[in-house]
Amino acid sequence: MGDALLIVLLGLPMTLLVTVLSFTIGVIGGIPLMLGLRSRTRWVRLTCRFAVDLIRGVPPIVWLFLLYFGVSFGAIRLDSLNAAVWGLGIISSAYLAEIYRGAFATLPSGQAEASAALGLGGTVTLTRILAPQALRTALPSIATYLLSLLKDSSIASTIGVADMVFNATMFARQNPATAGIVPFFIAAAVYLVISIPVAVTARRLDTRLRRTA
Amino acid sequence: MNVPLITEATELAIAGVQISNLSKRFGDHLVLDDISMNVKPGSVTALIGPSGSGKSTLLRCVNLLETPDGGSITVGSQTIRAGDRVKDRELLTLRRQVGMVFQSFNLFPHFTVLRNVAFPQEKILGRSREEAEARARVLLERVGLADKADQHPGKCSGGQQQRIAIVRALALNPRVMLFDEPTSALDPEVGVEVLTVMRELADAGMTMIVVTHEMQFARDVSDHLVVMADGHIIEEGDPAEIMADPREERTRRFLNAVLER
Repeated sequence: MGDALLIVLLGLPMTLLVTVLSFTIGVIGGIPLMLGLRSRTRWVRLTCRFAVDLIRGVPPIVWLFLLYFGVSFGAIRLDSLNAAVWGLGIISSAYLAEIYRGAFATLPSGQAEASAALGLGGTVTLTRILAPQALRTALPSIATYLLSLLKDSSIASTIGVADMVFNATMFARQNPATAGIVPFFIAAAVYLVISIPVAVTARRLDTRLRRTA
Repeated sequence: MNVPLITEATELAIAGVQISNLSKRFGDHLVLDDISMNVKPGSVTALIGPSGSGKSTLLRCVNLLETPDGGSITVGSQTIRAGDRVKDRELLTLRRQVGMVFQSFNLFPHFTVLRNVAFPQEKILGRSREEAEARARVLLERVGLADKADQHPGKCSGGQQQRIAIVRALALNPRVMLFDEPTSALDPEVGVEVLTVMRELADAGMTMIVVTHEMQFARDVSDHLVVMADGHIIEEGDPAEIMADPREERTRRFLNAVLER
C-alpha cells in the first residue's frame, strides 16, 4: 500500500505537467481559432470550423498515437511527452475555441453596437469590451474543461508518459500477486483530491464575478 | 441639473445632418425608401411613426450601424455615399462626431460607472486616465449621479443607466446626438429624469435626432417633426401644427393610437 502510494505520487508531477502545458497551449491556441470561427470571411470561417470539428471528432488517444507513432521530421520523432502535450494542447485549442465562441455569442449585440457607436475600434472593442464579458460567461465551462483535461491527461500513459496512471499500471504489473487494483484506487483518490479544489475554486470565482457584473 | 452646467461641460461644436435619397433593404424588404431629410445644426428633430416604419433604421444609418444601400449621409463636412467603400478611418471619424443613446442603455457591465464614461475618452480623445475620470465625475455630477461613480451599472436603475449612457456619449464632445427610443424601456416617472437631461441638452443647442413615442417631448422640445410609415416620410413640419392638425390620415391614426395609450 505504502509503496503503491509512493509510486503513484511519483507520477503526479508528470500528470500536472501534461495537464498544465496542454491547457496553456489550449487557452492560447483557442484564441486565433475562435477569431477564425467568428471571421467575416467565409473561407476562414469554414476552414476553422472544419479544423475544430476534425480535431474534436477523433478520440484523443488516436491523436496521441498518430502524433507519437506517425509524425517524424527527418530522423527526429516526437518523444512521448511532446506528443502528449502537443496532442492534448491542440485538442484543447479546439474545445476552448468553441467555448470562447459560445461565450461571445451570448453577449447582447448592443454591447458591440454601443462600442462601435462611441467610435471605439474593432481591436479595443474585442479586447476591452467583449472579451472580458465573454470570459466571465466562459469561466465555468473552461473550469469544467480543465477538469476533464486533467483526467484525459492519463491517456498520455498509453504512449509511455510516466504519469500517475502509467506508474499505477507498472506497479500493478510488477506486483501481480499483491497489488491488485489498489494502485488504481490510489490514483483515483489523487485525481479527486486535485479536481475537487479546482471545481470549488471555479464555482467561487463564478459567483464572485456574477456579483460584480 | 441646470442648463448652463451641461453647456459648459460639453464644449459644444455642433453640426447638421443631411440625408439624401437614402434607401435600405433587409433581404427583399425595403425598410427605407428614398428618404431625404435635413437636420439643421443645433436643431432637434423628432422621428415618430408606428413600429416597423423604419425610424430606428434611419437613425442607425446616420452613424453607419446600418449600411445604406442607396443615397448619402452628410454629417458636418463629412459625406458618406452608399456603395462607396468606407475606410475604417472615415467610419471612426464619422462615429466620433455622432453620439448615440440606445433604448437598452448598453452600458458596459464589467466597468464601473466612472470607467464607462472615462474609458472611451481615453481611447478616442487620448486623454489621460486622471483627466478622463475627472471629467467623467464632473459630468456625472451634472446629471445627479456622482454617488454612483464607483458602482457597476447593474446596481443602477434604468433611468440612472440611461443618464449615464447620455453622459458617456457627451463626454466625447459629439456634434450630433442620436436617441433611439431612449425612454421606451423605462417607467414613465423614471423616463422623466432622462427627458429632463435631453431637454437641457436641446436648450444648450445640441443637434439631436430623437426616435420617440413621447409626444409631449416631441411637441415641446423638438423643432421639427418627421412622421414615418412603411419606410417613407409621410409628413414633416412644425411639431405643434402636425399634432394639432395632421394632413395625413395615417398620421392622424398614429397620433390617436399613441395618445390613447
